[in-house]
Amino acid sequence: MVNFTVDELRRIMDRKHNIRNMSVIAHVDHGKSTLTDSLVAAAGIIAQEVAGDVRMTDTRQDEAERGITIKSTGISLYYEMTEGDLKNFKGEREGNEFLINLIDSPGHVDFSSEVTAALRITDGALVVVDCVEGVCVQTETVLRQALGERVKPVLAVNKMDRCFLELNLDAEEAYLTFQRVVESANVIMATYEDALLGDVQVYPEKGTVAFSAGLHGWGFTITNFAKVYASKFGVDEAKMMSRLWGENFFDSATKKWTKKHTGTSTCKRGFVMFCYEPIKQIIQLCMNDQKDKLWPKLQQLGLKLKSEEKELTGKALMKRVMQSWLPANRALLEMMIFHLPSPASAQKYRVDNLYEGPLDDPYAHAIRNCDPDGPLMLYVSKMIPASDRGRFYAFGRVFSGKVSTGLKVRIMGPNYVPGKQKDLYVKSVQRTVIWMGKKQETVEDVPCGNTVAMVGLDHFITKNATLTNEKEVDAHPIRAMKFSVSPVVSVAVTSKVTSDLPKLIEGLKRLAKSDPMVVCTMSETGEHIISAAGELHLEICLKDLKDDFMNGAEISISDPIVSFRETVFERSCRTVMSKSPNKHNRLYVEARPMEDGLAEAIDDEKIGPGVDPRNRSKILSEEFGWDKDLARKIWCFGPEGKGPNMVIDTCKGVQYLNEIKDSVVAGFETASKSGPMAEENMRGVCFEICDVVLHADAIHRGGGQIIPTARRVFCAAMLTAKPRLLEPVYLVEIQAPEQALGDIYSVVNQKRGHVFEEIQRPGTPLYNIKAYLPVIESFRFNESLRAQTGGQAFPQLVFDHWDMVPSDPLEPGTPAAARVAEIRRKKGLKEQMMPLSEFEDRL
Amino acid sequence: MILLRVWLTEKPYRIFREGIGRARRRFRATTNEERTAFHLWSMDFESNYDIAASAQFIHTHNFTRVALQFPDHLLKDSTRVVTALRKRLQSLKKCDATGSGHETDVGLFVMADTAYGSCCVDEVGASHINADCVIHYGHTCFSPTTTLPAFFVFGKASICVADCVESMSKYALANSKPIMVLFGLEYAHSMQQIKEALLESSMSCRFDAKPEVHFANVPSSVMFPSKDIKKINGLQEQASGASGTTCSIGGLTWKLPEGQSMDDYLLFWIGLDDSAFANVVLTFNACEIVRYDANEKQMVTDLFQQRRILKRRYYLVERAKDANIVGILVGTLGVAGYLHIINQMMELITGAGKKAYTLVMGRPNPAKLANFPECDVFLYVSCAQTALLDSKEYLAPVITPFEAMIAFNRGSQWTGAYVMEFRDLINLPEMEVIDQEEARFSFLKGGYVEDFENQENVEEEREVLSLVNATEKALQLRNNSNALMKGNARSGAEFLANRSYQGLNMPSENNSPEPYLIGRRGRASGYEDEKNKQ
Repeated sequence: MVNFTVDELRRIMDRKHNIRNMSVIAHVDHGKSTLTDSLVAAAGIIAQEVAGDVRMTDTRQDEAERGITIKSTGISLYYEMTEGDLKNFKGEREGNEFLINLIDSPGHVDFSSEVTAALRITDGALVVVDCVEGVCVQTETVLRQALGERVKPVLAVNKMDRCFLELNLDAEEAYLTFQRVVESANVIMATYEDALLGDVQVYPEKGTVAFSAGLHGWGFTITNFAKVYASKFGVDEAKMMSRLWGENFFDSATKKWTKKHTGTSTCKRGFVMFCYEPIKQIIQLCMNDQKDKLWPKLQQLGLKLKSEEKELTGKALMKRVMQSWLPANRALLEMMIFHLPSPASAQKYRVDNLYEGPLDDPYAHAIRNCDPDGPLMLYVSKMIPASDRGRFYAFGRVFSGKVSTGLKVRIMGPNYVPGKQKDLYVKSVQRTVIWMGKKQETVEDVPCGNTVAMVGLDHFITKNATLTNEKEVDAHPIRAMKFSVSPVVSVAVTSKVTSDLPKLIEGLKRLAKSDPMVVCTMSETGEHIISAAGELHLEICLKDLKDDFMNGAEISISDPIVSFRETVFERSCRTVMSKSPNKHNRLYVEARPMEDGLAEAIDDEKIGPGVDPRNRSKILSEEFGWDKDLARKIWCFGPEGKGPNMVIDTCKGVQYLNEIKDSVVAGFETASKSGPMAEENMRGVCFEICDVVLHADAIHRGGGQIIPTARRVFCAAMLTAKPRLLEPVYLVEIQAPEQALGDIYSVVNQKRGHVFEEIQRPGTPLYNIKAYLPVIESFRFNESLRAQTGGQAFPQLVFDHWDMVPSDPLEPGTPAAARVAEIRRKKGLKEQMMPLSEFEDRL
Repeated sequence: MILLRVWLTEKPYRIFREGIGRARRRFRATTNEERTAFHLWSMDFESNYDIAASAQFIHTHNFTRVALQFPDHLLKDSTRVVTALRKRLQSLKKCDATGSGHETDVGLFVMADTAYGSCCVDEVGASHINADCVIHYGHTCFSPTTTLPAFFVFGKASICVADCVESMSKYALANSKPIMVLFGLEYAHSMQQIKEALLESSMSCRFDAKPEVHFANVPSSVMFPSKDIKKINGLQEQASGASGTTCSIGGLTWKLPEGQSMDDYLLFWIGLDDSAFANVVLTFNACEIVRYDANEKQMVTDLFQQRRILKRRYYLVERAKDANIVGILVGTLGVAGYLHIINQMMELITGAGKKAYTLVMGRPNPAKLANFPECDVFLYVSCAQTALLDSKEYLAPVITPFEAMIAFNRGSQWTGAYVMEFRDLINLPEMEVIDQEEARFSFLKGGYVEDFENQENVEEEREVLSLVNATEKALQLRNNSNALMKGNARSGAEFLANRSYQGLNMPSENNSPEPYLIGRRGRASGYEDEKNKQ
């Protein structure tokens, strides 16, 4: 009983003011998918009765089994409003029909890359928060991400039913709980003051907060009630709205509104009086099957139930009654339509964030104006596996122009540099498709402001890309997405049978495409490596690889590999020297650790090769106390030319120094990629070239002589500067009831972690615990925690920082030395690390 | 190269001095294993150096100028070999002289410190003295020669036959598959004994199931040059047509019955863990291989390290796929067909849209190759046993022609099959180019990367815009910090343009051309004008 057709949908797609692109984001298990279901129900795709149970957007089997969302799923909804409903609508619109492109995203932190991909192609976000659990880590993370992308949020306080059925909260208590949720969300949003985006905080009295019970399919905003009461009391709707939230009290005896509680028993808060209590009443009547009292009440509300529905009892009855009284879809959709921007208005301010090129070129203009007749600008944010084995849809958002079937497009990959030919393809779109949950509909073309899936481009796009028209050679790409998590957990995979290797390669290729975060690479020993954001993510990836992408070929999976970093603890105890193979050139170098925070600043690209040298030296001298002249003498960063290590030239008056710079940089590149201890990347090491002696003939100081020497001297400098290992550390956040705390502490301590914060959630018996946990110890942390606490604690792990392994890896018998030996053994190196004499020479 | 020249007619030795220090250094650098092999050489001098057979070879073919090629660790025996050989030749001549009238002197030249691996016949060195044949001592890879006939003296390493046979039959009984015995050429002399001993032991064996053991043969220790490269392979094909397939590797040949492949056999290697063995392990990587170490008198079944090599090679192939500039290193000037394969590789590389440079530099080492930082990968054309160069010291990977075929042929896949000898590649059927409509996926970068030359429409654009691009480059602001980052430049010139230091600037004021000057003539060891002064 689909109550809208593809043609109808396609028609609204052209009305850019009547489109809302939005994503649903939240912490895990706060009810995103369930809430999405009730929205989908409104569009008539699934029956109203089962809304809340189907989880329309969980399309994969394992999603349904685990009860969590893994992949983000798009769905297009059609919603028609009455003229009366729209009378307060201030923005531009064409007609009463609206198209809502909705993307449901996963809440588990391991899949937050999916959220990033969803946010990129949407303009608004429905932030769902469990009214009892409140704002959690992941809520905060995704909210920050949304605001970073200039995506406007609205809030849905979900799981209202828990208040009524589970906790039986007193009305005033409930209000305070809700208020806390709203406030804590606003605290985060307040830090994102953005002149262009405007005020992003949410206010229930302005209708940007909805209260919902996704499971039962009902929900409301203050607007809904205000409308009813405004006509009843004959006051202005806006005034009524402000009275229904905050410090406004109504005394039913005196029938007066006050700003303060008057102290009489009949004086109640507006929200309690007019919103909470009526709902509570109805629910209680339903639950207690007091049908004799219920029917007149419903009559009063103007609700009519079908006769078979009247037969229902208890929960089922409550669900049915509430759904028809306060349908969640209406509340939410109206909130979105009223308070979330249309593509036309959103792209005006998002263009600065999106477009890499100059903001006054035709492409920037087209994006800003959401111009359907302009050049095509389309960002592919993710690839979705198609039912056709091994093929993928390229899913993205049209920012300007139109994409149509058969159109030849220019595909600019993530490594594309304008004006160059690298990572650039010209191919044609075979088919354009719009996505509606479990099924897809082919359409002729899709205009700007909409999301679209395309067939036929998957052989050229790994994860994301910018598409434009074939002839638009001057277009710059749309900025790449920045993920909040990074792939830190890896395993090596090999095919069990050698001749299955081509199948493995094909499988890995598909895996790399199917997920925005997973990275499929290769180690120097020739093993295929899969890196993912967390253990669960990795598990899902491997399952996908085995079941879907390998065509049944068997693979064997290694133990998890955790990468370490090598750093130094002090300045080198002496200046070390290495001679070139021909003994005619000598390099003198010292190593020292970088100042605190400098490595992170380089990671964040605040300081780096891309930054203007003048700004760079300013930051270095002001924030890190560097000498101004020294800051100008940075030769290079590494590895990959941008890593958190650097070479500084501190020599004075050396001849030919400029000639060997390239060679030293090349030597540094290899040295910083594989340090002297375990051949891991270096981090936070600053090398100072103190002196250089060079042969007078150019041929004797060529690359062949200097590159290996530079590499040796950097390794030697590191070994003399108290080298240390750095290990990755997770930030763990656990929410659990008080009685589970003891067990949590013991599990965390057992795994070498330590708890550094423990806060009780106000108004709940729940505690929020934050701890640091070394990544290498984190495997099976989830299981043991769940086993120990009887399933009461559910941890979220995010990579947080690198932590120094305190012991000296050069001293045999220490844990660090054992770790180094283990890494070396895994890499097939000699277990004994190279002595300093291998790198350093004497005069 | 050192030439130690010994005339039969009592002339004093003359040694080209310049190379001796180098040879000494290298001798010091020889591994322990090589030295133990060298100790075994002193068993019985005459038979060890095969003096009789080599004298007979020289005599019957009437060679007058003979080059004796020694590896570095045998160089100290060279004078004794020459004396012995001279004696033997003289006695042969005496016998002959009564018959025929003409009498010629046989010139014996000692060659050492070869430019490439000492396992190959150094034809270029031999042609310096116009030698008409080469006698090669020590470990050899049996690569075919182009111009000169060669006689190989493998030497005779001692082996305990009884122990070897015992472990062989033990191994054979433990396994159901037939066994193929391969061996280092220095053990070729005792193979007959081993065969007989094995037969005896299996006769006396009480078990019913007799192990099926096959032995590889050494066809002959004489090699004549084949002018036509096709002929070598032609011969092989003929043989395969007759009865099953003939396999050969490093001088060993054997026949497989029709319908069987090497995968059906277990390999039993007698000898050291040297390059010949590594060659066998890589080529027959699908077989189970055990090694019998004659020195230690024990079986070595753990070949983890060798398997590891194959994986590492796989990684290098993937690296090579991402390369833009390929340096072809000429690693041999003697192995038949080397020019052919170089040309073939050139075509392959340019066909893949990459740039190739040919470099001739003798035996490569990390410092030499680091002088060519523009090359993303080096392709080493050499004999099968010196082909594998892999050390982390090298800044860019060094791959073999076979690996290049996989890396640069679109659509070809790494299946585990491995070919070491490049002459097997020459006649390899043209790989079917599957026109996959898919960009190339790089596992090092973790995504699609395209060698854009393969896209036609972009190609046209390039031509049109080439001038624009060139001027644009001239005006570009350069980011010097990552100038030497690999894989950005597409040609040597482009690489140079990206360097922060590009050499001395030419003085621009003087535009008039310099007058021609006649340069020096001769070799660097003594130019012609310098000789006059002495």
